[in-house]
Amino acid sequence: LTMPLFNSEHLSLLRSNYPEHEEYAEVLSALGGFMSERIFPMSEKFDSNSANMGASRKALLEQGVCQIPFPKEHGGLGLPYGVYVLALELAGSADAGIALSLAIHNTAAEGIFQFGSGEQKRKYLPDITSGRKLASFALTEPTSGSDAKSMSTRAKRTMDGYVLNGSKAYITNAGEADVYFVFAATEKGPSSFVVEKSNPGMSFGEDLPKLGMRGSRTSEVRFEDCRVPQDSLVGDEGMGFEYAKAMLNGSRIVMGSLCVGIARVAFDKAVAYAKQRRAFGAPISDFQLIRGKIADMKTGISAGRLLCMHAARLRESGAEYASAAAQAKVFSTEMSVDACDSAIQVFGGHGYTSGDVHRHWRDARLLTIGEGTSEVLRLLIASRELALAT
Amino acid sequence: VRFAVCVKNAVDETELKIDQGGRPVLGGAASRMSAFDKNAVEEALRLRSLHGGEVVAFTVGTAEAKKTLKEALAMGVDRGVLVVADQGKIDTLQTAGLLSAAITGEGRFDAVLCSEGSSDTYTGLVPAALAEILELAYVGYSRKVEILGETAVLERSLEDSVEKVEALLPFVASVVSEINEPRYPTLIQIMQASKKPITEVAAGQLALEATRSSPVIMGMSAQPSNRKHVVLDGTPEEAAAKLIEALEKEGVLSR
Repeated sequence: LTMPLFNSEHLSLLRSNYPEHEEYAEVLSALGGFMSERIFPMSEKFDSNSANMGASRKALLEQGVCQIPFPKEHGGLGLPYGVYVLALELAGSADAGIALSLAIHNTAAEGIFQFGSGEQKRKYLPDITSGRKLASFALTEPTSGSDAKSMSTRAKRTMDGYVLNGSKAYITNAGEADVYFVFAATEKGPSSFVVEKSNPGMSFGEDLPKLGMRGSRTSEVRFEDCRVPQDSLVGDEGMGFEYAKAMLNGSRIVMGSLCVGIARVAFDKAVAYAKQRRAFGAPISDFQLIRGKIADMKTGISAGRLLCMHAARLRESGAEYASAAAQAKVFSTEMSVDACDSAIQVFGGHGYTSGDVHRHWRDARLLTIGEGTSEVLRLLIASRELALAT
Repeated sequence: VRFAVCVKNAVDETELKIDQGGRPVLGGAASRMSAFDKNAVEEALRLRSLHGGEVVAFTVGTAEAKKTLKEALAMGVDRGVLVVADQGKIDTLQTAGLLSAAITGEGRFDAVLCSEGSSDTYTGLVPAALAEILELAYVGYSRKVEILGETAVLERSLEDSVEKVEALLPFVASVVSEINEPRYPTLIQIMQASKKPITEVAAGQLALEATRSSPVIMGMSAQPSNRKHVVLDGTPEEAAAKLIEALEKEGVLSR
């Protein structure tokens, strides 16, 4: 299957959202072209771990994909968040593992951009957005995921900084990243720090074998008397949980969009196969039960894409968007798992045995868990509606 | 050193559809720079980095073709010239005539680079016609270009041999895709490309000789090819012996 990742549907969505900005389409079309030629053909090898995705990720970062949403003074392109969200959809189609790695990288950049000091922004952002340095985001712990407030990693104040002790679990980019946006509790509560890999006292677990997203590295990050300077504290002590919530709102839209991209590539494969595979003397695409799957997959993909774009547009306008982001993520990630499941069904036995088909389901499956489980996000959406209703 | 590079806005072949009769559907399809032209642009940029100077990209087409010039500008070309004409209504000789007039209008160039053919119709007629009209030496199918002062040494990639030739500047060359690996412009370069100048010239403004005839494509279709299917049975040792025998018979292996 060869295909242009950036297609007429992306073009019309961009044109309707950003009239008079044909340059956004030029940027995404070029990015899609790069990913179609350089990333997409490698994706199956990243999944089977027969090729390392590091060089491809670096090449994609050097293209400027992570510069999109940041202002020019910090080395960004100063483009709207919706353009970035669509860029990550394209990346999700090209290779979900790379897309995940990039999304987490930019979540860390987002934290430094929103809550870091001028000095921290100058020191880290141009290097991160251009891909000279890889970043990671370390919040989850072995015994605290959704319940992030109960973190046990501690940052003890010293004369000239802090000493970190504890461990973080399931951390994307762990061991590969140069810069870590880490959450640890001080006496005032959860706080956030930028920690460089070169810091003594920091170590990493082994690469966890995963169901999907196999191109990306996931492991534990451990701190043992890890001394960090005072200026590695981001923002104020005790504000870490608030910062994490704000960072996750943006990245939830991105994870939703990434899943739209996964669903789209599974869909394209399923449609191509349905037209070519024959049974009972006709292509299986002639059968109504297959047509029903194709219609439902397509409708889900379109709806997910629109929910993600809507949440991105709310964010751009400065409006409250936490619930919209949660809705975009719950819907798009679950839609993606369903669409990839339908794709396996369309492929039949070949779908169950071919890594090039079932890997999309395995990739999508992570994201009803990571960056806020579907359950926690449903509580967020509902509690907001119930509060409004009173 | 001044380089002119000719580019064509062509149908994006990755989005190309084929009709029932096996013919490509060219109308309404998305367009972009003809894939091989990127090699010509890359070569001009490479030579500019060695010798300094300027690279100007030329194209003939409607306003849509500006996209292709922008791609060239994003790659690093200094400026672009669009000769406004409907590609569908002019033939290759007229295209070469318009390009030559536009190139002449921009002063003296030391080298004019083209690709060996366009990714849509692939006639490969324009570069040679262009050289003829400009009355310059033509070096087709070049896989290497070296500029040494007033002359250039080029390697021509022919089917079963490589020909090394020397040409006086200025010359026209077409390049093959093996000559280099075109760069991908970064997103910043793509955004900055819109600030670079594109000059538009109406085809009518260019002094052109009366139209001469040029070959016209009557049709295009895929040629079915028949392959030999030989199944070798027996144990691996027996099958290997039979394979060697069969390959010798075909003349692809000799003892």
